[in-house]
Amino acid sequence: MTARILGGIGTSHAPSIAHAYDKGLQAEPLWAPLFAGYAPAKAWLAAQRPDLLIVLYNDHMNRFFFDAYPTFALGVGERHALADEGWGRRDFPDLPGDADFAWHLAESLIADEFDPTICQELAVDHGILSVLPLLCDPPWPAAVVPLAVNVIQHPLPTARRLWKLGHALRRAVHSYAKNLRVVVLGTGGLSHQLHGERFGFVNPEWDNRFLDLLEHEPEVLASYSHRQYMEWGGAESVEMIMWLGMRGALGPKVRRVHRHYYAPLITGYGLAVYENEQ
Amino acid sequence: MPHKSAMTELDAGELPGTAVFDGRRSRRGYRLNKLAMSLTEPANRARFLGEPEAYMDAFGLGEAEKDAVRRRDWAALIAAGGNIYLLLKIAATVGQTLLQMGAQMRGESLDAFMATRPGRSAR
Repeated sequence: MTARILGGIGTSHAPSIAHAYDKGLQAEPLWAPLFAGYAPAKAWLAAQRPDLLIVLYNDHMNRFFFDAYPTFALGVGERHALADEGWGRRDFPDLPGDADFAWHLAESLIADEFDPTICQELAVDHGILSVLPLLCDPPWPAAVVPLAVNVIQHPLPTARRLWKLGHALRRAVHSYAKNLRVVVLGTGGLSHQLHGERFGFVNPEWDNRFLDLLEHEPEVLASYSHRQYMEWGGAESVEMIMWLGMRGALGPKVRRVHRHYYAPLITGYGLAVYENEQ
Repeated sequence: MPHKSAMTELDAGELPGTAVFDGRRSRRGYRLNKLAMSLTEPANRARFLGEPEAYMDAFGLGEAEKDAVRRRDWAALIAAGGNIYLLLKIAATVGQTLLQMGAQMRGESLDAFMATRPGRSAR
């Protein structure tokens, strides 16, 4: 019996979500639709009883700086500390890791011609932690293996590279000789731009098209350039390519369990839950 | 299929109102961004707030960069090669929010900016 991928979750990540959570704004009119949107995803995840979450995310200049910036970085530690992003550490327990699986993943990825920086210490930031409490309650019910992607300092890996990385993740899981229940998460986006005169750019039409394509025709998304992502969704929305890593880890056909979209301020908050069709 | 580098693609046309954070910007803004990165340590935030001039000198900031930090001129700091995620750490340390930064970068008041948002009525 090998490990297997039960499904995947695509989700935005944002400091604003963490802020709303920590301030207890879940019932406020501005935030209630967002938090309500996560309830079905949380219920699905609990029902899956996953042992392990592989999370594609990006570090927002908390663990890594431009002195040495990895294109891909894999957290292989027994646990992952929470980063102080410049306004204090959040009040959550560290994330449990799975060093045995993560080292297997490192070996499998590198044999597959993906070469992540291997990190025995990888403090994680809102790229994971802003949404993890919306998907499950602490104490964290599953180990987390974080896989950080450079979506900040160009040149970035291409959308197609992330799509292929997803395939490599799938091969790695299926070659692990332990009966683990795995869910893959891709985080980031959807449309948002956080700098310049175009600050606040949001494009719900494109975000929803992205969600359609991700479900049914993900290879179309793999063919788009960074410039296309940035033009249609804002410069920082290029994070959306990380959802392709999640989708690529699933089979060609998926069953959509849940989809939610809400864009009240400066980010198109998206959420999609897929199950592998057996 | 011809080889197409990311830089070539970016040079094919600037996106309006956008400063794509590439190698040129990362080189230009290195010291500024390094200062901002240091603010992930609480002790450094206290030092920066206590003696901002000495702190900026210690990171080798130029006069134009220091002036932009003093004026909280985020648009100028982006032009100086600042990365938005790092500038956000400076802003948070001095008590500004991302929305305030955004309004300034757009050249409008926070109220005027918020009036354009669908969620404004729910605030």
